[in-house]
Amino acid sequence: MSNDLLIVLMTAITFSCRYLFFMKSLPISLSPRVQQLLQYTAPSVLTAMWVPIVFLGHKTEGASFFHSPFLYAGLITVLASLKIKNTLTVVVVGMGSFLILNWVL
Amino acid sequence: MASSKPLIEELDNTAPMQAENQQGNLSLIVRGFIDMFPLCVAVIPWGILCGSLAIQVGLSPWQAQAMSLFVFAGAAQLAGMQLIGLGSPAMPVLSSTFVISSRHLLYSAVFQSYVRDLPLFKRIVFAFFLTDEMFALTNAYIAKHKRFCYVYAVASGIAFYVMWNLATLVGIVAGNNIENLQAYGLEFAIAATFIALVVPAIKDKPVFMSVLASGVSVLILELLAFEYALIASTFIGMFAGYYFAKKSSAKESATIKSEAKKRAVSVETKQEQSDE
Repeated sequence: MSNDLLIVLMTAITFSCRYLFFMKSLPISLSPRVQQLLQYTAPSVLTAMWVPIVFLGHKTEGASFFHSPFLYAGLITVLASLKIKNTLTVVVVGMGSFLILNWVL
Repeated sequence: MASSKPLIEELDNTAPMQAENQQGNLSLIVRGFIDMFPLCVAVIPWGILCGSLAIQVGLSPWQAQAMSLFVFAGAAQLAGMQLIGLGSPAMPVLSSTFVISSRHLLYSAVFQSYVRDLPLFKRIVFAFFLTDEMFALTNAYIAKHKRFCYVYAVASGIAFYVMWNLATLVGIVAGNNIENLQAYGLEFAIAATFIALVVPAIKDKPVFMSVLASGVSVLILELLAFEYALIASTFIGMFAGYYFAKKSSAKESATIKSEAKKRAVSVETKQEQSDE
């Protein structure tokens, strides 16, 4: 299959996943119970994405768990986000500490 | 000059409302851009990686840019390109795209009640820009202002789209000059933004439990190399939050009932005392 066609199909897949529940003809309407369940989507899905990076990130670099800059920078970012309200500052502190730790460890 | 006077007066009748509306929209758009800015910064290295990897696995510069312009899904693009680089046939690429994108089904379900009744074009635009980042920001906006705002959501989505594509372009231009970019641990930028978004959202026990359950289960499932670890642990986290919300609301109503009972009893005894 040509790469062009592959890109078209990938686009179709990602767009369909984002659009599905906005279809007017979709016979599924979500019950209040499901809506309550969906309230916890954001914290759950974002956590399921950051936790593996922080706790399993060392595997991609072949470092040991206790020498992983991912682990310590992750913990620093968590602490920073508890103290600092501004998202940008937290991100900068997190990335900065990662770069330093990556260099030191 | 004289002839323009009545025109101005005529305009004046409608102008204040329009101006107010426009100003409102403009400030919402600016708000969307500002709020998305930190997430845009964090995604720059990823965009560069995506662009340069596309060139390294043999896509043309146009195809590499088209990935970001149309597919517009960082994780799915990277996984897809790694498979292409390994000489994989099309089916594994497409199924990995679906597995990685399946979480977006949940996002569209979350916003269904706000978006489904909008005109087709608006729904398509909203869906196209619906990334993890836009989802997170729009949720935070709803939590803060107790209402959904289409203009804010789409503005933040577009800001992210522009940054993602510019970063991809830089990666394409750099192409093979960037060697082993992954070794720099770029994923951490994403982790940092998601931590910065999740931690302030933990305001009660149900949310905390959903974060804990999802975090623990994703670690276990990843270590077991389960292909659907992300979506499975998302569901586990959602059910945990739902369960603890039900439990605490049951407890609350129970304490209200028991307090009401106590009060009733004390009223009775007081009445008895006064009767005596």
